[in-house]
Amino acid sequence: MTAAQIIAVSIFLVMFALMVLDKIEKQYVTLTAGALTLIFVFGVAMRSIDAVVKTLNYKAIFTLNFWYSTQSEESSGINWATIIFLCGMMIMVEGMAHAGFFRWLCLRLAKLVNYKPIPLFITFMVMASVLSMFIDSITVILFLAAVTVELSKLLKLNPVPMILSEIFCANLGGSATMCGDPPNIIIGTGLGYSFFDFLKNTGVIAGICLIVVVIYFYLVYHKQLAPKDGETVDLSAIPDPKSAISSTREFVISSVIFGIAVILLVSHSATHLTVAFIGTFIAIITLATSGKNIGKVLKGVDWKTLAFFIGLFIVVGGLEQTGVLTAIAGVIEKICGGNVYLMVAIIIWLSAFASAFVDNIPFAATMLPVIKGLAGASGSPALVHCLAWTLSMGTDIGGSATPIGASANVVGTAVAAKNGHPIGWGKYCKTAAPATIIVVAISMLIIFLRYCGGITI
Amino acid sequence: MDKQILIALGRTCGSGGHVIAERIAEHFGISLYDKNILKHIADENNSDYEELVKYDEKKRNIFLSRKYNEHNASMEDVLAQMQADFIKEKAASGESFVVVGRCADVALHGNENLITIFVNAEDDARIKRIMTADKLSEKEAKVFIEKKDKQRRNYHDSHGVEGWGDATTYDICISSSYFGIEETADFLCAYIEKRMAKLK
Repeated sequence: MTAAQIIAVSIFLVMFALMVLDKIEKQYVTLTAGALTLIFVFGVAMRSIDAVVKTLNYKAIFTLNFWYSTQSEESSGINWATIIFLCGMMIMVEGMAHAGFFRWLCLRLAKLVNYKPIPLFITFMVMASVLSMFIDSITVILFLAAVTVELSKLLKLNPVPMILSEIFCANLGGSATMCGDPPNIIIGTGLGYSFFDFLKNTGVIAGICLIVVVIYFYLVYHKQLAPKDGETVDLSAIPDPKSAISSTREFVISSVIFGIAVILLVSHSATHLTVAFIGTFIAIITLATSGKNIGKVLKGVDWKTLAFFIGLFIVVGGLEQTGVLTAIAGVIEKICGGNVYLMVAIIIWLSAFASAFVDNIPFAATMLPVIKGLAGASGSPALVHCLAWTLSMGTDIGGSATPIGASANVVGTAVAAKNGHPIGWGKYCKTAAPATIIVVAISMLIIFLRYCGGITI
Repeated sequence: MDKQILIALGRTCGSGGHVIAERIAEHFGISLYDKNILKHIADENNSDYEELVKYDEKKRNIFLSRKYNEHNASMEDVLAQMQADFIKEKAASGESFVVVGRCADVALHGNENLITIFVNAEDDARIKRIMTADKLSEKEAKVFIEKKDKQRRNYHDSHGVEGWGDATTYDICISSSYFGIEETADFLCAYIEKRMAKLK
């Protein structure tokens, strides 16, 4: 190992340890680690300005391809498209939340099923999945879990089974599209994929898995959700969906903007507008229509997470530029010995296992150059696709297995805890871990059948 | 009682601190809050009391829980906050009470009606007490006390300021070994009365 590689790996490991220990806010950890990478890996050890420029990747923003692209383009270093897109979506979601869109939607659907526990349970699972295809699962769970707790109190139900299944379905829904989960945005923008590329591939897998998961959670929880004999529920105490809307004007505007965002995302492979453009456009129209709420909307954006991404991409860039990730790809290639099935199995289960315990974002960001390396060695584009969907499903679904695997899990269990319903590891993993294993196994089988057959390494 | 009095009582395991707190509450005719705070929380939220007890007075395990911005999924932290909110709410309502443990000294810090007490005892006395109360052998009692004290120290020091059991943290620290439970309680009641007389 070279000095640069040793320093890059050390910085990465210390960064990861500090993130797990959770003593210092994650954005400070990654930004400091990023600065150390720039100084010691690129500056002191490599003495390479070129590596700094490649990793900072700022020149890409000023190219036409960054905003309007007729051909798919891979990116490395700081993935500005991911950061700009996430920022735009956060601004849009903040506007929607401010108008009461999410609470209205939850209450409206609950009313549509007459507040009956089992239909409500299934509807909220499906809604969690569908919303998470377009909006980050953290926001979806934040609102859905809060409404679930509120309705459960009034309907005299235990909210825990509903929250656990909503979390799982939100993570599953996020795997279906390019914008559903940060690892997918990283993979999509890193490999130049479109929204439809994901929908046709991970979307199909997620759709099949959703059917299985809804049946699974129904079988596991239906007894706990059955109404107790003789217990009466006062439906008049349930808030009217309209009460969630803070301003009709804001509600209509935010709904229209959301509709525009969905249309732009669905059609971006045809319009050639990149996700960076869509994020920027959506942010501008949200802010332009926010009026006096503009400050509140901007304040609600999760700037810490965006800063966290910048630092993280620099640290991963350090591993990439020093050849550490190529070496890891070489090890995986050696273990697999040209067997693509084994390669898929290793990547999907390794990604799922790692994502169950550590944040799936750094894992996906680190693994993306590794799969590029694996595919690059064989020169097979079909292998890149196959491994991209494998990595996506592994990281997105693996996070569902434990209460710390994904941010949506943390938010969902935190909402439950705040309302006096503790969800410990035992309670969480008892249903979520088997569901994760089932979904990862189904995903692996589909990937085997659909992609692995024609690939030769 | 015309003046509000808030007593936060910390204790080492086996020191008899809880019984002393009961005597003080009885003497002044005020409420005693201990684990029963969890009952209030469970009733209010339609949740399971036994489930909450599992997380009571414990420190968050950093490897088993994660935070996401202001969202904290650690039930230990959340329950500590809920108990602190309960204590603050009761204090704000003007009620007088004694709280056993639960970082009440931290939750009520700065309140001019607050008296903070820490009760300890000699090791032998503590071991004997736990052996009798919990029907344990001497060895088991020792292990139990060590574990409980460590748990309380970690809980107090992670949810508030460091200094569980330190003289600088409390208004009065006392060993129950010298006077026994009853006389120590009487002594503390006399101390509290004197303090109350000084209150505006």
